[in-house]
Amino acid sequence: MQLSEPTFKHQSNLASYCRTGKLSTIPGIIRENVHHYRRLVYNVVDDMLQNAYPITHELLTAKEWEGAVNNFFTNHPCQSPQVWYMPKEFYQFLADTKHPLLKKYPFLEELLWFEWVEVELFMMEDKIVQADKSGNILSGRLVLNPEHHLLSFNYPVHNKNAKLIKISDKGKYYVIAHRNTEGEVIFTDSSPALIRMIEYLSESPLSIKELFNEFQQEYNLLLSDEDQKSIIRFFENAYKQQLIIGFGKQNDLI
Amino acid sequence: MVGIGYRKDFAEEFLQSNILDPSFIEVAPENWIGIGGFWKKQFLKVLEKYPLFTHGLSLSIGSPDELDFDFLRKVKVFLNETNSKIYSEHLSYAKCDNAHLYDLLPIPFTYDAVKHVSKRIKTVQDLLERKIAIEIVSYYTPIAPELKEIEFINMILEEADCELLLDVNNVYVNSFNHQYDAKAFIDQLPMGRVSYIHMAGHEKVSDTLIIDTHGEAIIDPVYDLFEYTMHQLKRDVPVLLERDFNIPELQELQIEINRLSAIKQSALKIKDYATV
Repeated sequence: MQLSEPTFKHQSNLASYCRTGKLSTIPGIIRENVHHYRRLVYNVVDDMLQNAYPITHELLTAKEWEGAVNNFFTNHPCQSPQVWYMPKEFYQFLADTKHPLLKKYPFLEELLWFEWVEVELFMMEDKIVQADKSGNILSGRLVLNPEHHLLSFNYPVHNKNAKLIKISDKGKYYVIAHRNTEGEVIFTDSSPALIRMIEYLSESPLSIKELFNEFQQEYNLLLSDEDQKSIIRFFENAYKQQLIIGFGKQNDLI
Repeated sequence: MVGIGYRKDFAEEFLQSNILDPSFIEVAPENWIGIGGFWKKQFLKVLEKYPLFTHGLSLSIGSPDELDFDFLRKVKVFLNETNSKIYSEHLSYAKCDNAHLYDLLPIPFTYDAVKHVSKRIKTVQDLLERKIAIEIVSYYTPIAPELKEIEFINMILEEADCELLLDVNNVYVNSFNHQYDAKAFIDQLPMGRVSYIHMAGHEKVSDTLIIDTHGEAIIDPVYDLFEYTMHQLKRDVPVLLERDFNIPELQELQIEINRLSAIKQSALKIKDYATV
């Protein structure tokens, strides 16, 4: 670095002022104008966070939201050069620092994660996998849409108004999120068994029969006819929703 | 050529109609690197119709921090994949003390900053294997200046041997905020290095301060300064209309594009200047 200590220090002081609002002495500045930098920088961060976390923003009081954003921007050095990705750091910061708001709203950490997953899935780079578009859902090897996330929550942050979530809602909620070819992000209620089968499919394409066999072997149980019918219905719907994007090219038929 | 800053706000209408018909579009690479899904599809459709110019936001060329080479390599891939005609960045810093700020802060006009920034521009040009254009930014306060703004800019352009993105609105804004003659400022710029011009609107927030918002239409005095610039330039360069907020009807943006185009053509008609 060819910068002298004073030049570096002045830059650091201005940047620090933008993040914290605390202004150190900087020679030559126009004091009545410098606050615009703090305002402009803060607005960018606040806007991005509000866009990424609209439900959280709606849930928190204005004071709570502003406090959380200020705390984040003051104390966390944002690492992503891509501003759209910065809100993930907000979620991570609140979780890592065990922010008091997470205690007040026991489901807040999950709500933030749920909201971030939607952003990330919507924006993430395309993942290309080969799959035949035509095939038989009952006999073909199912190819999983790689643009998905498997989620488990203790609170129903994905399907209940955040302001109405209560401690008594605590339970186990399994959700599959994926992006369809239109770019829409779809959240589907699921179960531990279906999540496990999706995990099998994330390894390689399998037929429904192979899924049944693998699941039954792993858990040493027999799926009832009713269970099997229910799972088949799930995968038929998953195909319509493009969570299953097609069929394996080789050994298509079992 | 007069282009438009491509915004997601008007992406769909832009694709589905011919109301807005720029010669090219401009995007910030950091808003599109690693993006897939709906926006990638839209972006690819737009790229089929229009040449791409790029204007970075996060390289932080004036930062005391190390250059982000991982990011720069991604930019290089993006420029090559999209066949970007120009890559420009701001003469400012947006990262300091290992923290991104996501806005453009003014670099102190000091001799050591000239050395530091020039070296970084050269490094970026070497890595990207292309000349980059550096934009004069709007600023609302100087920071510990040892040099005049014009001296600072010209020394960097000379030492880095880079191109100049002349944002005419920024010159107007700075001349108002820091009370100097905008035309005299433009007269002192090395016109041979100008490869690209930006035009935009701004917001006057007090009797002594204008903020460069890109949220309003271009005002007449800035059109006048643009006309003056074209006469001084005496050659055609691509011009961009920037509109980032308060996006109006596309028709209104096209009217601004037409006006810029007419001013440019009129200025260049006076003599047999080369045209792009």
